[in-house]
Amino acid sequence: MADIVNAWTPRSAWAGTLESIRNGLSGHAPLTIEPLDVIGLALISLPAAVEPALTRWLKERLSLTLPANGTVSRGPQHDLLWAGPGKFLLRSYRDFDPGLLRELAAIVPVTDQSDGRAVLRLSGERARDVLAKGVMVDLHPRVFGPGATMITPVAHIRVQIWRLDDRAGLPAFEILVPRSMTGSFGSWLEASAAEFGVRAITTGG
Amino acid sequence: MTHHPFRTASGGFIDRSKPVRFRFDGRDYRGFEGDTLASALLAEGVRLVGRSFKYHRPRGILSAGPEEPNALVELRSGARREPNTRATVAELFEGLEATSQNRWPSLTFDLMSVNGLFAPGLVAGFYYKTFMWPSAFWEKLYEPLIRRAAGLGRAANAEDPDHYEKAFAFCDLLVIGSGPAGLAAALAAGRSGARVILCEQDFRLGGQLLAERREIDGRPATEWLAETIAELASLDTVRLMPRTTVFGLYDHGVFGAVERVSDHLPVPPPHQPRQRGWRIYAKRSVLAAGAIERPIVFAGNDKPGVMLASAVRSYVNRFGVLPGRKAVLFTAGDEAWSTAADLSAAGAEIVAIIDSRPDANPARADLARKLGARYLAGGAVTAARGWQQLDHITVREASGAETVLPCDLLAVSNGWNPALHLTSHQNGKPVWNEAAQAFVPGDVPPGMAVAGNAAGRWTLAEALVDGDRLSREAVADLGFTPAPAARMPAIEAEATGLLPVWRVKGGRGKAFVDFQNDVTDKDVEIAAREGFRSVEHLKRYTTLGMATDQGKTSNLSGLALMAEQTGQSIAATGTTRFRPPYTPVAIGALAGHHRGRDFRSTRLSPTHEWSRQAGAVFIESGAWLRAQYYPQPGENDWLTSVNREVLAVRKGVGLCDVSTLGKIDIQGRDAATFLERVYTNGWANLPVGKARYGLMLREDGFVFDDGTTSRLGENHFLMTTTTANAERVMQHLEFCHQVLWPELDLHMASVSDQWAQAAVAGPRSRETLARLVDAPHDISNAAFPYLAVREITVAGGIPARLFRLSFSGELAYELAVPARYGDAMMAALMEEGRDFGITPYGIEALGVLRIEKGHVAGNELNGQTTARDLGLGGLMSPRKDYIGRLMATRPALTEPNRPMLAGFKPVNKADRLRAGAHFLDLSSTATMENDLGFMTSVAFSPHLGHWIGLGLIRGGTSRIGERVRAHDPVRGGDFEVEICSPVFIDPEGVRLRG
Repeated sequence: MADIVNAWTPRSAWAGTLESIRNGLSGHAPLTIEPLDVIGLALISLPAAVEPALTRWLKERLSLTLPANGTVSRGPQHDLLWAGPGKFLLRSYRDFDPGLLRELAAIVPVTDQSDGRAVLRLSGERARDVLAKGVMVDLHPRVFGPGATMITPVAHIRVQIWRLDDRAGLPAFEILVPRSMTGSFGSWLEASAAEFGVRAITTGG
Repeated sequence: MTHHPFRTASGGFIDRSKPVRFRFDGRDYRGFEGDTLASALLAEGVRLVGRSFKYHRPRGILSAGPEEPNALVELRSGARREPNTRATVAELFEGLEATSQNRWPSLTFDLMSVNGLFAPGLVAGFYYKTFMWPSAFWEKLYEPLIRRAAGLGRAANAEDPDHYEKAFAFCDLLVIGSGPAGLAAALAAGRSGARVILCEQDFRLGGQLLAERREIDGRPATEWLAETIAELASLDTVRLMPRTTVFGLYDHGVFGAVERVSDHLPVPPPHQPRQRGWRIYAKRSVLAAGAIERPIVFAGNDKPGVMLASAVRSYVNRFGVLPGRKAVLFTAGDEAWSTAADLSAAGAEIVAIIDSRPDANPARADLARKLGARYLAGGAVTAARGWQQLDHITVREASGAETVLPCDLLAVSNGWNPALHLTSHQNGKPVWNEAAQAFVPGDVPPGMAVAGNAAGRWTLAEALVDGDRLSREAVADLGFTPAPAARMPAIEAEATGLLPVWRVKGGRGKAFVDFQNDVTDKDVEIAAREGFRSVEHLKRYTTLGMATDQGKTSNLSGLALMAEQTGQSIAATGTTRFRPPYTPVAIGALAGHHRGRDFRSTRLSPTHEWSRQAGAVFIESGAWLRAQYYPQPGENDWLTSVNREVLAVRKGVGLCDVSTLGKIDIQGRDAATFLERVYTNGWANLPVGKARYGLMLREDGFVFDDGTTSRLGENHFLMTTTTANAERVMQHLEFCHQVLWPELDLHMASVSDQWAQAAVAGPRSRETLARLVDAPHDISNAAFPYLAVREITVAGGIPARLFRLSFSGELAYELAVPARYGDAMMAALMEEGRDFGITPYGIEALGVLRIEKGHVAGNELNGQTTARDLGLGGLMSPRKDYIGRLMATRPALTEPNRPMLAGFKPVNKADRLRAGAHFLDLSSTATMENDLGFMTSVAFSPHLGHWIGLGLIRGGTSRIGERVRAHDPVRGGDFEVEICSPVFIDPEGVRLRG
């Protein structure tokens, strides 16, 4: 049966969305969007009692520290996003090693969300202006600098946003969107970004 | 045609090298870049621009700003037609098209102006008095007639082709208004490094400075203006927002504003919104919105050619337009005297200056002499006359003698009202200030300071001082180091003496208080006489202060007249409070992107693309789009398709997307304890690897939701909810955990989006699945019985969960895989089931299958039913406590006569049952007293060959075999049905355990 697996082509959560951007503008643009396809994402709930055990495991296994409220800590292969009181999202830039999640699940409750959220990266000189059309939270660097994260509605959709390190001096954000709502989110993003000029890059991972 | 007959040769903020063509009422005109529609019309000599609301009187241009009550036009045409646009703020653009309103057949010849002759019948309260009887005539006759005769512009009757958006901004200091006070405030805060937003409703920054010939530090004020704006633009913490009206103040310092992004363009450029609604979160604010000049009430004061003195200065100085050539100034104070000088400098003849104050001031006399004008101290204009525009006025001199003065422009000034509306939006009440002769801000909202004219401080020097000081105080309060106080520039002395004239009696003809609503001084008298004396009653009874201008030029005159009638002071009479919006806001700017398909977000299942390619018809189900049915070629109606799908499940195998069910991952040592408390039935004894049906009540004892929950591990459960209630259940569970039992070791996460899930149902379902499930996993009946649950792999290693659950009553499974494989799973199941005739089915067939099996769903879980009503009383465990247990024992909820679930079939098999039909005994009349219950769900059962139904009826299944009537007053049916078991198929459950 192993041959069948090839026929099970995974579908990107962003497939069929953002068509006008993908097909339209290109070249120099003050905005870049990058829908990311394959990521690992797992929600960790942290009972107070196991915090030392988790802290140790994160440091030894992933070189990560527990982030403070509203922030993200970054490691070589993984990031850890604060995701609400006592909750964190472990993000991997590739599919999770299932063994890793099993190890983690032995310490804390873990829920795989790799398919539940879709990730999109938004960067460029007008990135904040686009987000200001949906985000009801102050995005000024005095308030929301690199490494900050929040959970907030955008266009009636609950998303998590975090600010990456600047790229060539320009702000960059990642946005986690519930998979079932990428179409509506994409529609808002297309309408909001178009006036500035935007190009899409597909990295595939 | 010679254009611009009333344009001055030089001066102003218009660009004479850039002509702009436009049309008004079908005629071609020219203006210049920098004009408003009003200034361009005046430059072209057009004075008559509209007809009034009730009497159809000719009206012209009163003001030069957003307070305009008269010059309302329809702007643009077709789908972009915008009624009631104020010509005084409409920025001129190439090809602009405007049409006058409320006239027929034309503006100059309006048949409806006969209304003026019947005026005695149209005074305040006339609706209520004249059209009382007979009441049936109101809707059919009176209202349509009134609506045709009265009114303003026509809304567009096609969908708005432009798009709008919303945006959110944050700042330390919001400055509202860009006159001298606002600019000084923005500059002081900007220099300190604070984040500043400066909003200006006009397209040009400068406020009243644009309209005046003033000097600051011995140089023209326009130079100070240019330097200040340039410095503000250079500060990267300052955002200048022209064309942006701050229309409301809401709780916690949140302001609403609308930015007219493309209103000054014929059509918005590609991707640019027409307007943008802003929500501005400001830590502090400085209101520097200026003031609105007051007209004077006298006979004929609405004649085109009668204009506010400040507006005259604005047209002369800012737009280079002479609003008339033979001008008279009628003022109650010092400040308007500059109008005469400005007009004269621009080439107009000043016929007379009538200052209502009796003291003949030598300096004023001297100025009048220099201008060649008569100076009539203590005089008053008793009437303005002319056919369609001003031709002459009658003046009563201090001596009592009446003089007629020919003129084509009458500039009037009665002092100013601070534009304090935003201070009032949070219920602040303006207070009367005797020195300023105006209502000034009373309790100012937290974080707001009011500067300059908006605070009733009338001089330019005060505006500059206020703006600078208040801004520095605000930023210091926020922890910034304020810039040193700005050096106050030298400004010549300013006289602000004022003795307002609330009305001039004795002229013949109507004297208007509220131009937009055609409310006269007589109407205020009637209101007083009839007892509508409070300002709020006065407003409602006379309509004074209503409609699009909200009485910006009329409120104070109205209440001053009421004060006169009641013998009270203006302070004691009081003023109405203001509500948002300050000026009209298009609904589009409030909706932004969220209209049509984007009104709210749509959720798509991870199998959506597969269903689309399979030809599904989709239907909205909560936020989701779900496949309703999958029509095949040749099937022309939905029932044919649904019948085929149902029979395929009963006889072979069917495939249905159930990804939309709510899925909640529940982990922790106390997970089972938690389920015991939120469900009515027992969970502690559920073995790992098994699922169970669960029922949840609300705290009040009624049924909340149902679903199956599986035990994946000792401390790990997976709960499913109905699609519609998924979010509410999650909220409920979070509330229970966080508030009621925070001590429980419990962790919940929604996994609704993580898994794609398909129901595979029918006698051939096991054979189909067996081809997909990887080798080590045995799904035989013995190894994987009814209600078994297992984590497996499919298709060579893809992680999956398999549940043996059935909603249809058939042998059935639900297979879940990570969402990225949703489409692939459907395709693979279709492939593997092809030999067994596998058929995709939608939620219509799903509904038929569950009704045939007697399962309750949303129609029965309607928030008014108890577990017992639904035949689920057995699930209410007597051995434990759970949410809703106690309240479910209330007498009304356990009353034996409550309608309970039963099945129904038509006695005449051809009859079509209807959900919503009410049950009656065979001989009863159709009244509420005889009501026995109602049909909740119906379906055509292809298996039985007739319609079947579920319903709630008194006596429930104890009445099986009895006949009642199903009475449907909405669709007209009334026929006999037989009460039967709600389970129409396989009551023993042989099939689902097979």
